Amino acid sequence: MKLMERLYKDAPLATRGEITPKLGFLLTVLLAIVWLIPFLWMVVATLRPASDGINAMAELMPSLKPTLDNIRDAWEIGDFPRYTLNTTIICAGILLVQFVTITLAGFAFARLAFVGKTLIFYLFLMQLMLVPVLLIVPNLSLVARLGLYDTLTGVMMPFFASAFGTFLMRQAFEAIPTELEDTALIDGASLLQRIRHIYVPLSMPSFSAFAIISVTSHWNDFLWPLMVINSPDKRPLTVGLSVFTKTAEGTQAWGTIAAGTLMVIAPLLVTFLIFQKRFISSFVTSGIK
Amino acid sequence: MLFSRRLMLGLATAGSLASALAFPALAGEGPTEIDLFFPVPVDGKLARDMGTLIKEFNEGHPDIKATAVYTGSYDDTLIKTRAAIKAGKPPSAVIMSANFLLDMQIENELTNLDALIKADGTTKEKFLGQFFPALQGNAVINRSVYGVPFHNSTPLLYINADKAKEAGLDPSQPPQTWAELTDWAKKLTKREGDKVTQWGIEIPCAYDYCGWMMETLTMSNGGRYYNEEFGGEVYYDTPSMLGALSWWNDLVTKHKVHPPGATPGPAVSTAFISGNAAMMMLSTGSLTYVRDNAKFAYKVAFIPRNVRNAVPIGGASLIVPAGLEAEKQKAAWTLIKWMTSPEKSGWWSRATGYFAPNMAAYKTPDMVDFLNKNPDARTAVEQLDVAKPWFATYKTVPVRKNLEDEVMLVLNGKKQPKEALAAAQKAADETLKPYNAETSLKLP
Repeated sequence: MKLMERLYKDAPLATRGEITPKLGFLLTVLLAIVWLIPFLWMVVATLRPASDGINAMAELMPSLKPTLDNIRDAWEIGDFPRYTLNTTIICAGILLVQFVTITLAGFAFARLAFVGKTLIFYLFLMQLMLVPVLLIVPNLSLVARLGLYDTLTGVMMPFFASAFGTFLMRQAFEAIPTELEDTALIDGASLLQRIRHIYVPLSMPSFSAFAIISVTSHWNDFLWPLMVINSPDKRPLTVGLSVFTKTAEGTQAWGTIAAGTLMVIAPLLVTFLIFQKRFISSFVTSGIK
Repeated sequence: MLFSRRLMLGLATAGSLASALAFPALAGEGPTEIDLFFPVPVDGKLARDMGTLIKEFNEGHPDIKATAVYTGSYDDTLIKTRAAIKAGKPPSAVIMSANFLLDMQIENELTNLDALIKADGTTKEKFLGQFFPALQGNAVINRSVYGVPFHNSTPLLYINADKAKEAGLDPSQPPQTWAELTDWAKKLTKREGDKVTQWGIEIPCAYDYCGWMMETLTMSNGGRYYNEEFGGEVYYDTPSMLGALSWWNDLVTKHKVHPPGATPGPAVSTAFISGNAAMMMLSTGSLTYVRDNAKFAYKVAFIPRNVRNAVPIGGASLIVPAGLEAEKQKAAWTLIKWMTSPEKSGWWSRATGYFAPNMAAYKTPDMVDFLNKNPDARTAVEQLDVAKPWFATYKTVPVRKNLEDEVMLVLNGKKQPKEALAAAQKAADETLKPYNAETSLKLP
């Protein structure tokens, strides 16, 4: 029970004597362990030599003779630094433009008065109900006509406007008291200045919540980049990884797949670990759980 | 002040980023640039082998610059090719699942290869004569050539010979009928109480594979999956297919020698390699993997029959999409001929386990050597004598999924074979309706 006590030390003083938070904590620890198992397996499988045989692949016990062969294989099959760079460019590019569009659109829906505002807003929200796969052909022919076929810009293009983001920012802006804006108005601030200095700083939690959702969904997107990109050097991580995992009639080398997957999720995982506290607090304050 | 400076900086960065990202495609003199779309049929290492192959081609053909573009699974490759054609950017050649050709031809997405064959000073008959006759059903549509077989397969029965001997069975006399196979599977299943520690047999069922295995079983049961002459009919609700699915279902529910649920191909081969399954039905495309990984003696055999010995072919053909400039068409044709030559198709066959469609490949010294060392690679080629075309219909993928969804429900114990096949037939008829209305009859 020593471990429990040590873990428990951080609990608020008032609740230390109670049994429910203890149970809750125990449950959380249990859940965390369950959640961790696939990750552990991935790491173990990555380091397992092929000579252990395929039976051992299902075991969680690490091999006695760990090897880096799988990582080397995966590294040789895929150009991972390049894939990571491409994915980063795609996610960051989309996010930067989205920040501009959702701020302006969210502000318009929250604060400006114009004819048909509600109707337009609902039309906007209807986008959320469209399955992206439906739009592959029309989007692709548009991207091709713009001369963006086989470019990273072409991959980013359809996501520059985000219905979800606009909705999120509209909610956030509506929660900000109009008095703040009025004061700035008296001081002679222009529309853009008011957005920049009042609305944006006060909505930071919503921005970070949106950033997480946007980055993770585009980081994991497979089909759309597969459609747009032809050149091997412009592939994002997902397309690069699927070379290992998409088999038609064949079989799979689990060790290499584990190694490849580890390389793909590592950047996102590390970012999460570093910014963990901020991520969590942003979700709490923005009301998304 | 600060704001505007930051903004300027941001705009400058965005601008330089954008110009760096959108490479303008320069159409100038120099080699003809062509794209080859390829799915990964076996595993990641083959994607690297494909790179090697294309590099070799480019070195030997300075006037052509081919790029190999990886395009996902067979189904993803079809989606990507179609989207690219509709967007006006067709690839020059595609390694396409052999049974998608009919659907693409119906949609006018394929180049008729007859003219290119004629321009080489040869005839269709002579050109097709290089390939195994069983493959022609999926390459020739309305007497015109639309595809060139590249790597092909038949399903095989893989047997763990060590386990068979252990159970008192003779692996040199593999089961030839379903009854014998059921008997083998019973003897090869090991239980501890209610728990099964070793399954007698596993047959994969996941999208794409499931339809192929259903065709395999239906054909061995004397039936047909679809109308080979006309793309608007499938025969799901028939006695022969019902018999096939019932037998499969019996292995699961009655004899309990096959694990319940729909198992994907890689899980089946993993179970076989690890000894959790003593037999499996799988493509010859997995043969190299099994050879490299099995720590036991194994045996490959024909798919056992109920009524007759018959299997569908599988694998992929090279196609040229419609809407290409003549120059690219010619370059693609050069690439296709090179890739399907005896040497190259033999090399690819040895790397993957797929058989080489070009018959002359088996006369090359490398292949003769290889077959002497690995006689198991012969089985699929021998089985070609009883092989027939792979199902191909209008809207092949949705029509196939109509069946696969129902078969999965049966294997998961949620439906009985009879009602599942009736539902599959109804769904498929609905999917095929537009084509039937347009061609054979005006439906109500």
